Parts: sequence; structure tokens; C-alpha cells
Amino acid sequence: MARKTPRDKKPLHAKHDENARPLPEAAPPPEKVERKMKPAVIIVGADKGGVGKTTISRALLDYLSANHIRTRAFDTETPRGTLHRFHPEVTTIVDMTSTSDQMKIIDTLEAAREHVSVIDVRAGGLTPALIALRDMGFLEAVKTGEIAFILFHVLGSSIASLDEIDEIAPYVQDARYFLVKNHVNDTTFFDWDPVTHRKYFEKVSTAGEITIPKLNEMSYEQVEIAGTPYSTFVANKTAEGDAAGHSFVLRGYVRTWQAKIAEELDRVGLLDLMSGKSGKSAKDKS
Amino acid sequence: MKRRTRIFIACSPHARVGATTTARLLTDYFLYNNAVVEGFDLDPHESAYSALFPGVVSVVDAADIKGQISLFDRLLIDDGAPKIVDVWRRSFERFFSTVKEIGFFEEARNRGLEAILLFHADEQASSLATAQALHAAWPDVTQFVVNNEGAAPLGREAPDILARYPAAGKFAIPPLEAPVRRLLDDPELSLTRFLREPPTDMSLVVRAALKAWIAPVFTQFRSYELRRELEASDLFR
Repeated sequence: MARKTPRDKKPLHAKHDENARPLPEAAPPPEKVERKMKPAVIIVGADKGGVGKTTISRALLDYLSANHIRTRAFDTETPRGTLHRFHPEVTTIVDMTSTSDQMKIIDTLEAAREHVSVIDVRAGGLTPALIALRDMGFLEAVKTGEIAFILFHVLGSSIASLDEIDEIAPYVQDARYFLVKNHVNDTTFFDWDPVTHRKYFEKVSTAGEITIPKLNEMSYEQVEIAGTPYSTFVANKTAEGDAAGHSFVLRGYVRTWQAKIAEELDRVGLLDLMSGKSGKSAKDKS
Repeated sequence: MKRRTRIFIACSPHARVGATTTARLLTDYFLYNNAVVEGFDLDPHESAYSALFPGVVSVVDAADIKGQISLFDRLLIDDGAPKIVDVWRRSFERFFSTVKEIGFFEEARNRGLEAILLFHADEQASSLATAQALHAAWPDVTQFVVNNEGAAPLGREAPDILARYPAAGKFAIPPLEAPVRRLLDDPELSLTRFLREPPTDMSLVVRAALKAWIAPVFTQFRSYELRRELEASDLFR
């Protein structure tokens, strides 16, 4: 994995990739590294399957790693998680409804060496997961400010059900709730009509929208085949850390795509939110 | 002294200003000097450049990702052989937007390759603006301005117009009389073969005209090569 690979071991051209443009792997300003953080939980969930939710989790893990934030991830796609396949070293597969697994996530928040826990919730599992979090007192801890709670609600190019928002709304009062418009596999653009759009936003107060740009099919597929984090693919490495023979063109596309996502996450001030600062209120584009 | 592998990019935002002719002359220049050279024709419909050099020039569709892989990944191979890209006018924007998106020139530089833009001037102001925009985007990439005096005559203003281009140097391709120009359109006519063994069935006048046309172009290429070698040599360090 790239994050475990010593920098000096990278192949020459991969190192140069970073020099070429200051993209995700470039060192962040010092205050971002040193900042004291309270535990943060980022839930990535979706109304329905097939909206590329795990792609967002993967991109998020790359972003946090590039910003030198220690992160662990939980994959609720039991028994075989997709997130786990791409980020095996940081990912644990859990069943959100099992008490012992809940303890694995929540009780270790303070003690864990990682500040941030990313939970990739399987399709349709968002409401049960939130109920479970409430029942175990997690939402209470969020309210009192002990834990930062960020929710990424990933939307496809059509809205599966507006009802889900009603169900979620009570649980996300104290969360930073982001709507993530995922274009990664899009062939068409979002076709939400303004009325539907407004209705959707009436129900919850969101911290903003995040747009994930399209990545061309071939690049996307090649990373799938490689089965590594995006940043490892860009660095032309295999999962084992050996030199890989990925196309420079495809790596270039993935790198640019990652940079655009990083721009989006920077824009909404994700790192500040996790450190308990207010972050940038990104009430735009709605 | 190891020579840097070069990537020549013959381009213009406009059609019929002589980019393919330059790509052809440069390819023949290398072949005539027994150098290995590899060409890329970005016009997937009327691939005139590739038709002239079977086995040397391949056709690539720059609008297609597979095409981009066979072009850019290949161009980045540091094998010493000069690469020549004939950018089709209609793939011009796509070509440079891809170059930008994937960071091609930066990667080429990091791998020790030298990219050289052969920008074809014409009388339109938009050409100059495009050349300046390319220079602003990649100030480290060497740009030469090419004036094909037959395809894109600039008239008496030529020196002034060319001087405005952000170029490290200039190549001038002289005009050709119509009968000789028609002959050039024949993909069977290899300039390398012509120079080595002028066909006896060709009119003496045409032969002389063609030679007289090629000679100053090759002289300019040769002079550019010598200048480059001098600049790279230890004498100037």
C-alpha cells in the first residue's frame, strides 16, 4: 500500500509525478498535520446500491492518507467487503447490527491511534446504522461535542426515494451532512428537476454539496482490476509495493480526478470539520 | 554524451497550413540520415502522413482513450528514437487538453525527454494567440514557429508576424510550383528514396525543383541539430 511505502522507495517517475503538480500526495501545510483532533466518524451511505458509494469511501481514504491523517475504515458489506479489497490494511469488515462489532467501532474511538473512522454502510443500511448509532449513545456523544460526526450521503443520478430523507433527518441534527453527487460512472448528467431538488433539501439542513467528477471508464476499470487504492495506482505500484506497468495516460486521468476530489473536500473544509473547527459553510450550488 | 529523446509535435489550430508536410519532411530527414524514427498520425480519417510511411507512422485517434494510451505511453519511452506527431487540426484541442490533464509534458521532462512544438503560423490572429497560450501553459517546452510559404503565405509582413511568435527558432518551408506539389501528394513518392536514387523516369526539371525544395529544409534541420549538439556539449558548460 502506498501509505505504508517509504517515500524513498518509490520509482523515479512516480516520485516525479508528485513534482509535476502538487496533487493529493503533496505535503499539506504544517498546521494540518500537527492539529489536535477529537475522534471523528465519517459515514458514507446511500439510498440505494450502484451509486458508487464505495468509490467515494476509497477516494476519501486516499484523501485523508494524503493529508497524513491516520484513518481506519469499517466495511459493512459482510461477509466480503469491496472497500476491504482495496484498502485491506486499514479496513475491518463489520456487521453494524452486532453488538460486538458496534463495540469494535465505537468503544475504541477514543483509544484508537487513528483519529478518523470511515464507515462504509452498505446500500439500504443507512437508517438501521443510524438507529444503531443512536441506541448505543453515539449520537449523544456527538451532541455534547465529544465526537465529530460527518455523513456523506451519496446520490446517484436519480433519487431513489425521498422517504429515506425523512427517516434519516432525526438522526443527523448534529451531524455535518453532505450530499455527494457522484458522477464517477456517469454517462449523463443529473436530471433532477428543481422542485424535487428543493423538496429534498427542505427536509435536512446540509453542510453542503460535494461533487465527485466523472472518471473515464477505462481508468476506472483498470484500478478495479489492479485492486489497489487510487493513489497506489497513480504511483504505478502494485498492492505489494512493487513497480506496476500501468499506463501513464490512465494514471494521469486518475491523478487529475483525485485532485478534483481533493479540491472539493478542501472547499467544504473537511479537515477543519474533523478537528472540531466550524469548517467552511459551503452552502452553494443548491 | 547521451542524446535526449525528442518528441516533435507538428501542429496548428487551422487546416492546410502545412503541418503534415513538416512532419513528412522531418521524418524523411531522419530516415535519409539512417536514423530510427517513429511517427504518429492523429487523423484517423484521411491519414495522409501515415500513408507515406508504412511501418513507421501509426494512426492514432486522440479522442479515444485507447488511442491516447498508444500515443502518449509510447511517446514517453526513452529509446533515443525521435518521435514525430502530426496533430490533425480537428484533434488539436483534444490533444492539448489531454496533454494538460494527464501532465504529459511534465512527465516527459521528468523522464529526460525533450518535447518540441512545431507550431505552424498563418496570417490569422487566432494562431498567434494559440501559440502564446501554449507557451504560457508550458514555458519550458521548446516552441519553433514553422512558416510554410506555399500553404500559408504571410506576404511582406512575414518577418514581423513571425517575430511575434514565442518561438525559440523558425523553420521556413519554401513554396512549390503546382506540378511538383501535385507529385508530392502521391503516397508512393518517398522523399528518402527520391534523394537516394532519383527516379530516371521523372522529368529532369521536376527532379531539380524537388531537390531544390528539399535541400534548404534539410539544411535548416541539420543546422538546428548542430546548434542543439553544440549547446549540449561540454564546450559551453
